[in-house]
Amino acid sequence: MTTAPVLSAQSLVVGYGGRPVLSRVSIEVRAGEVLCVIGHNGAGKSTLMRALFGLTRPVSGTIQVDGKELAHHVPRVLAAHGIALMPEGRGIFPGLTVAEIFDLALWSGNIAEGERAARIDWVLSLLPPIKAFYGKRAGFLSGGQQQMVSIGRTLLSQPRCLMLDEPSIGLAPKLFQDLLQPIRALQRKTNMAVILVEQNVREALKISDRVVVMKAGQVILDTVPGELSDNARLMELY
Amino acid sequence: MVFLQLFLNGLQLGAIYALTAVGFSLIFGSTKIFHVAHGSAFAISGYIYWWLASQLDVAWPVATLAAVLAAAAFGLLMERFIYRPIQRHEASFFTVFIAAFGVSLVIQNLIGSVAGRGMETVTTPLSRSVEIMDGLFVAPISAISIGVAILVFTALSYFLGRTHVGIAMRALSENPDLVRVFGLDPGRVAQWAFVIGSAVVVPGAIFTAMTAGLNPAIGTHVMLVSLAATIVGGIGSVRGAACGGMLLGLAENLAYWKLDPQWSEAVTFVVLFAFIIFRPSGFFGTPTAAR
Repeated sequence: MTTAPVLSAQSLVVGYGGRPVLSRVSIEVRAGEVLCVIGHNGAGKSTLMRALFGLTRPVSGTIQVDGKELAHHVPRVLAAHGIALMPEGRGIFPGLTVAEIFDLALWSGNIAEGERAARIDWVLSLLPPIKAFYGKRAGFLSGGQQQMVSIGRTLLSQPRCLMLDEPSIGLAPKLFQDLLQPIRALQRKTNMAVILVEQNVREALKISDRVVVMKAGQVILDTVPGELSDNARLMELY
Repeated sequence: MVFLQLFLNGLQLGAIYALTAVGFSLIFGSTKIFHVAHGSAFAISGYIYWWLASQLDVAWPVATLAAVLAAAAFGLLMERFIYRPIQRHEASFFTVFIAAFGVSLVIQNLIGSVAGRGMETVTTPLSRSVEIMDGLFVAPISAISIGVAILVFTALSYFLGRTHVGIAMRALSENPDLVRVFGLDPGRVAQWAFVIGSAVVVPGAIFTAMTAGLNPAIGTHVMLVSLAATIVGGIGSVRGAACGGMLLGLAENLAYWKLDPQWSEAVTFVVLFAFIIFRPSGFFGTPTAAR
């Protein structure tokens, strides 16, 4: 055992109104690792992401950042620790322009005033298509453009750990690869940890180092993508 | 000439209503809290100004500043000690409404017992009317109130469009959950909405004190009108609330042309009902599909 995982959880139980959505889920992600979380609709993937990011309070269980529990496990503090979440669905404000969304992200991320322009340039260099619609209202953009803005927004803080909740929703597979390849390249370069929740299993496994399969609120398998590459195994799990 | 006179009076009243409605709309838009006690901020700041400027002879900039601080503090305290505890227990719209209504009654009675239940005005040479044309009387205060209203709206649109807090308030109005995902505290943003939304009523309160005068129940009247203006303008639209307030101020005054004065408040509601029937989404509201 070398260093502590960037983000980890033990025996996490989360329930909405008494019904457990997650029952005793343990998970961890280390620096430089892309962890893919797959499973059916309702398996608890998004709930797990929300709990890890402090948006949903667990009934029991513990969550650590760098091996230590936080005094206040809320998004604001997680963001300050270099963790960013791209939420499920539209992670943008339709009435705000892309420029305003980035501005808000830089401000909420406490990025120094002098460094903000450089951060924006950096994200635009990673996701160059954004330049074309930088001044437009996000609500007028296509689904793919909105997802790109949403991912770009999470990158502005240069996170150590990036959580992506179904970035492929509503995207053609080709677009999905266009979106994920720059993330993978960046992740290799910066040693960032990534948790990727996906329905589009085949595409997601291509860029993952480890895969966790969830079913009915539990982790039923923790393995490497190679193990799942043969179809029979994947079908069996579903 | 009578029409022109009433039109000018209507513009002045409309400016006051617009300022109040904009504050309500700003608060409701970003926090979704139905702040029925908004009229109390109007009453409190009006009476603070009256007390300082006309009872204690304090200079007007100081009295204005004190009125702004009082209104902002009222908004902040309402958010912190009334709305937030209620929302923490996931209480309904109805609980919020009753709590706010109760507070406004308490404020109304407090003002009544401290300042008396009569009409109070701040006398100023600015409210003295001058005959500018044959039969057309205008007081400098009319121009000042319209000018100040325009100034406040310009400042407000700059604030909402260009400042971080303003952008965050617009973001909050669209998706509070996503505001949290961004690492911001929605409660903090909501407090800003209450502070600014409450502070923008102050010019209207001061101009009312200088012209029509204040009474302890003024908050209720102003609240009803700004509520109507918000619905007429389209709920959640700051620009709509401003137009709605202006329209109601004009309608109330133009009604005098043909009707007796006691009908003025009824006219407000005729306009409101007309909008509810013919254009329920208001001037700028987006029509929502029937559920």
